[in-house]
Amino acid sequence: MTKSLTLRGLQKTYFDPFAGAEVTALRDISLSVAAGDFVAVVGPSGCGKTTMLNLIAGFLPATGGEIRVDDRAVAGPGPDRGVVFQSFALFPWRTVLDNVAFGPKMRGVPKARRHEIAREYLALAGLAHAAERYPNELSGGMQQRVGVVRALANEPDVLLMDEPFASVDAQTRMTLQEELTRIWEQRRPTVLFITHDVAEAVFLANRVVVLSRGTVLDDIASDLPRPRSWSVLIEHPDFKTLTARVLQQVRAA
Amino acid sequence: MSHAQPRLAVRVSPWLRAWGFWIRWSTRRAALAALVPFVPVVALWAAVAAAGVFPAAFFPGPVEVVRRFGALMVNGILPAYLEDSVVRLAVGTALGMAIGIPLGLWIGLSDRAHRALWPVLLFFQAIGDIAWLPILLIWFGFGLATMTFVIVYTVLFPVVLNTVLGVRSIRPELPRAALSLGASRWRLLPEVIVPGALPNIVTGLRNGLGYGWRALIAAEMIVGTSGIGFLMFDARRAGSVVEILLGMIVLGVLWYVVDSWILAPIERATGERWGLVTR
Repeated sequence: MTKSLTLRGLQKTYFDPFAGAEVTALRDISLSVAAGDFVAVVGPSGCGKTTMLNLIAGFLPATGGEIRVDDRAVAGPGPDRGVVFQSFALFPWRTVLDNVAFGPKMRGVPKARRHEIAREYLALAGLAHAAERYPNELSGGMQQRVGVVRALANEPDVLLMDEPFASVDAQTRMTLQEELTRIWEQRRPTVLFITHDVAEAVFLANRVVVLSRGTVLDDIASDLPRPRSWSVLIEHPDFKTLTARVLQQVRAA
Repeated sequence: MSHAQPRLAVRVSPWLRAWGFWIRWSTRRAALAALVPFVPVVALWAAVAAAGVFPAAFFPGPVEVVRRFGALMVNGILPAYLEDSVVRLAVGTALGMAIGIPLGLWIGLSDRAHRALWPVLLFFQAIGDIAWLPILLIWFGFGLATMTFVIVYTVLFPVVLNTVLGVRSIRPELPRAALSLGASRWRLLPEVIVPGALPNIVTGLRNGLGYGWRALIAAEMIVGTSGIGFLMFDARRAGSVVEILLGMIVLGVLWYVVDSWILAPIERATGERWGLVTR
């Protein structure tokens, strides 16, 4: 299930009717994420990181370049690329269990089996007790746990995460980051993680890619020891050095 | 100041106790509690009628109306007319929704359909139900076809307009999430678009039923040979104010029943449960 993701010369321009001109959102992005790797993309707002994710997910058509999952070129959205959204994007009319079982349902997995799968994945994130609740009955942090679990339960080749923890409070965010690291260390999915939070990128990823004006500015390895937790890393000298280095790049970008 | 407090507390407590009793009772017996606000209205009506300010033939009291209600129930006229009106409304509403919901989904989903049909919809919405009657009478005559047309027409617009609104207010991440989880474009319709638009569709149904009910009564007055509207208009010809009042009360009661037994439970089970509607 775990596969690599390759972007080659990815480009996106669009016509802005108010400016009356072509706008370049992505100039030229070449990047590859090895199977089972965790890559974070950081950059100032407007650098094109969300556009990039929308292209990879297939929500927007690229105007140039190509996207490959392993050796297969992809266009349009598909279950091979799971997405976790900043706004959670849970289906409000489905229970937590049915949200998580949605992917298997689309694959035609029978009800009993897909509920079994969903419960298994919910337990992974400590959400077994919330299975029968509706999304609006949960806190933001809980909703995003469901969002992550829903994407994982569909066993995508690549997991795309679009600033998933940006809209939860600071304490919850740290807990979610630690949970995500733990799950990643256990299951090793291929992850491309978009964020504007440098410390988050360094904490989670094996590689931090800095994006600026629609192109890759730098690609920094983050080889901090695993398993990672905030209580250890916050004091770790390498974490401080790395964060400082990435921050410098982002601010220069 | 301070010495008055204990006495005040003693004097207030029976009221508080009565109020607490009322809260508990009215939540347990909600249907009965809904009648309570009508007690002063009916009492005032009875008092004005009994005072003899107006001649009894023009302003009958509640007792005469209840007596007339009993008589019309016994001779079977009221149940038959009530059935006629309710069946016409149900058939018209079902037809209106069967046309309106698919049309609304289509216009909501397709920008091209929206551009082409929206102005036309607004134009025909402005021609109110009753404004159609003159031409319908020429085309279809005094009968069921005319009445059905008026109801379907009246129900259609609120259903279409609200369905379009519902489809367009679905957050774009929801269909995106479904596609990324493997849903096909066609699968989006039952899995995301319809449930996402459902709270608005129910609002459309509520408005449609309300307008349709009023249009039906008006149509029955003009073209009807039975029904509550016909009963009231026929009573005017006979000069029976009692029956006119009775018809008005039946209209109000029937709407309350439709609202609290059919519409409100649907709303509780959909939008409110999902947190899409704030109460």
